[in-house]
Amino acid sequence: MHNTFWIYRRELTSFFFSPIAYVILAAWTVLMGIFYSGAFLSYAVVSMQLARNPQAAAQYNITPTSAVLEPVFSSVTVILLFVAPLLTMRLFSEEKKQGTIELMLTFPLRNGQMFAGKYLSVLSIYLIMLAITFVYPVILSAFVNVDWTIVSSAYLGMILTGMAFLSVGLMASSWTSNQIVAAMVAFMILLATFLMEALAISASEPLSSILRHLSLGMHLRNFIRGIIDTRDIVYLVSINILCGFLVLRSLEYYRWRG
Amino acid sequence: MIRVENLTKYYGKLRGVEDISFQVEEGEVLGFLGPNGAGKSTTMRILTGYMPPNSGSAWVADVNVSESPLEAQKNLGYLPENNPLYGDMTVRAYLNFVASMKGMSGAEKEAGIQRVVGSCGLEAVVDRLIGNLSKGYRQRVGLAQAMVNDPPVLILDEPTSGLDPAQIVEIRNLISELKGNRTLILSTHILPEVNMVCDRVVIIHQGHIAAEGALDSLAANMQADSTIRISAMGVAGALSDKMKTVSGVERVELLGTSTGEEAHFAVHAKGGDDIRSDLVAAVFAAEGKLTEIRQVRLTLEDLFVRIVSGEHKHDEETVDEETVNA
Repeated sequence: MHNTFWIYRRELTSFFFSPIAYVILAAWTVLMGIFYSGAFLSYAVVSMQLARNPQAAAQYNITPTSAVLEPVFSSVTVILLFVAPLLTMRLFSEEKKQGTIELMLTFPLRNGQMFAGKYLSVLSIYLIMLAITFVYPVILSAFVNVDWTIVSSAYLGMILTGMAFLSVGLMASSWTSNQIVAAMVAFMILLATFLMEALAISASEPLSSILRHLSLGMHLRNFIRGIIDTRDIVYLVSINILCGFLVLRSLEYYRWRG
Repeated sequence: MIRVENLTKYYGKLRGVEDISFQVEEGEVLGFLGPNGAGKSTTMRILTGYMPPNSGSAWVADVNVSESPLEAQKNLGYLPENNPLYGDMTVRAYLNFVASMKGMSGAEKEAGIQRVVGSCGLEAVVDRLIGNLSKGYRQRVGLAQAMVNDPPVLILDEPTSGLDPAQIVEIRNLISELKGNRTLILSTHILPEVNMVCDRVVIIHQGHIAAEGALDSLAANMQADSTIRISAMGVAGALSDKMKTVSGVERVELLGTSTGEEAHFAVHAKGGDDIRSDLVAAVFAAEGKLTEIRQVRLTLEDLFVRIVSGEHKHDEETVDEETVNA
């Protein structure tokens, strides 16, 4: 616990020391803001039109939560596709490149503690990013009624999805001493899971179902609609476990190879 | 304190070290010598628990490194070869981090940091970023990091490489101050360094221990066939003949003559006995005038070169035969 905390602390300090932190946070805020204001403004127009047409309103059943927040929350996966590799790329590869991992591996420190510290540090950064987005439902609630149950479910989904994305990034980072390679590998893996969903549309059953369930982005959809499905939770958590396991194997291999 | 038994490490098909064994007693400073790529770093990395050996075992502070690495690593300070540091931390933050990693906390940690900042002369730079420090200071930070928890065992991999002469002297003095209360392994290919700080040396060559022992006895052993340089005025042939009669002399070699009929000889003698006075008497007996006599001492450089060069055959059997045990 002690060691994990100090690794965690070092990583966070180091992250906020580098300009990458501010670039990523700024880009995230701006992009999410664009998604939000777009959804917000179009809902303003649509809701005005529907108010004049009660029949259509009843037919479509559009709520502020589904019309404004759902598209914003769904876009998180798309941005994460780029942001997660950037957040995680340096965590192991930088240590390998600088050689600091040699010292780290001679400290009385378990590989698992090192992984946990790094993982929690990048997860904290992600939680900070999510916290920024929380102003959107708050702003929305000033004008209309927001369904907070759905919002909570969506945030649970975004946290779990983010954890899966970040663990893929960490795994890629543990494979190489080159940050760019780490980022590219993580990006390719994450992109591949997106493409899986597209392939699922044209594939026949049962392949189609398999591909759809393997897709990382798809599992967020239920959460955003307020559905908490254990299948989604199990899937996302097992991605974490698998990646964590592979990181530990990779560190062990690194030791063996010398 | 430190024990290594039959350690073997291969990097794929490449030999790191093969079947090496040695011991270091408590409070001893062991110099680890060898040409680049001999296996010094490999041995040290195994001792620190950074990588496991293919076979054999290592004990640090009497704890088996492979069986309980965390326990062994608590008693260990390590300065890796290229001294990797986090450039984005201040010296204080880095030392604080390392001390915490080694399980220190509270007042004990503060005291430890204060102590190494003082002993490594880091007061002036303690709040500066490591990335902005000069190489000499970075090396001191590396040493401070290794010593912060006052470990009984210190392993320093080429602590003076890449430093300028003044910095080398500084670091060397620092290491000398560490002597006595700690067990220290120090690798280097700078030979005078060994003369100055080490009690004992292990010379490693191509993954094997080529020689081991206290510096003096190692030199004495290697000096079994000593050479004496003599210059004298006189008839070269007569001088040479007389000197050959001195007991212990194996061969007299005429190196050349210079103006004024001064002849220069190299006398090769067997055994460790000092035969210089006998040789002087021989020169007088040949009616020569002695101008110079000098025992050719084996410097560590000679020793090193002899051990790692052609005089020692590299195949397994001969290496074992020629291992010098003090």
